[in-house]
Amino acid sequence: MSAKGNGWFIALAVCAGLWLVQNGSENVTPPVPSAAEAFAAGPGHHTDAAADPLPPSPPLRLRIPEIRVEAPVTGLGLDSEGSLEVPPAADRNLVGWYRDGTPPGAKGTAIVAGHVDNAKGPSVFYNLGALKKGHRIEVTRRDGLTAVFTIDAIEVYEAAAFPDKKVYGPSGRAELRVITCGGGFTQQTGYMGNVVAFAHLIGVRPPPA
Amino acid sequence: MRTTARLLAATAVAAATIGLGAHGAYAGDFAVLEVFPSIVAPGAIITVNTPACGPGGRGVGNARALGAGEFRLAPSTHKEVAVGRFTVPHHTEPGTYAIEVSCKNGKRVTGDLVVRHDKQPSGRVHTGVGGSVGPDTTQIAAGVAVLAAAAVGGTLLLRRRASGAQGS
Repeated sequence: MSAKGNGWFIALAVCAGLWLVQNGSENVTPPVPSAAEAFAAGPGHHTDAAADPLPPSPPLRLRIPEIRVEAPVTGLGLDSEGSLEVPPAADRNLVGWYRDGTPPGAKGTAIVAGHVDNAKGPSVFYNLGALKKGHRIEVTRRDGLTAVFTIDAIEVYEAAAFPDKKVYGPSGRAELRVITCGGGFTQQTGYMGNVVAFAHLIGVRPPPA
Repeated sequence: MRTTARLLAATAVAAATIGLGAHGAYAGDFAVLEVFPSIVAPGAIITVNTPACGPGGRGVGNARALGAGEFRLAPSTHKEVAVGRFTVPHHTEPGTYAIEVSCKNGKRVTGDLVVRHDKQPSGRVHTGVGGSVGPDTTQIAAGVAVLAAAAVGGTLLLRRRASGAQGS
């Protein structure tokens, strides 16, 4: 390469390096679901028929293949204010379910929550906001069955306007909610709300032979 | 309405206690069905007992109203009271349900069970502290590496130019 060519190459490298440093210095936040994934945008092409609910059995593991989540499930209660407890934050690969409520796969609304991050970095549901309608969520239960859910919508709610009834309310079919933090972040307020994935049961897989 | 339900339940429990205490004299006349606990969420295990079936008596309970089917009552360790258990199904809707017991001796007693769903969680969930929010250190490191490489390359290039200029 000529000396002139080398000069241009180095100038280009300097520009690329500066851009990487500058761009990397901006705050990176967890993925935010697009408006197209909200209920308001309609069901899209994903209208899988609901499967018949299963008898209750507690969940053991949860998988979301699209965002490479594969985590054990622990039980959660309510705190003194009636809010859902959260799993221990130190464990980055752990999700919780509301153990006094509906088990995933049974008739009703099963509630699952997990951290988007902890003090050290991303946690199990960091990429929850990147999911789309029609993506699958799988829950393996103590009875050996795997309940397969499809996502109906991903919504973002401000803390002050959290729709309890919509998220936690009862259902006549087997539904699932997967909750994590989101809705914008500032150093002063922390995360300003929650990302909630709404899903319903579409099938059941027997235990592997 | 909740208060009313509690009051009713409390009255039922009180009445049951009186019924038990007054056993010898009033068995049958004051017979009631004690339902415990009387205000529950779906999934709860309910115990009912009654002196109505008589000493050592048995009976069949009917909890079909809330989808729990029938259950049996057998004499408890206190032989004068028959006891039975059933589970409130997870899909039971909120409401007040009548539990009916038919004793072998022909007596029928009923009691109320209130199913509530308001043990649902409420409000937001605190599932993050922001530890993932911040500069992309990997990207910055890559940028620094590229800049360093450019600096080394640039220095070599300048040196070569300088030596080339001297040589000519």
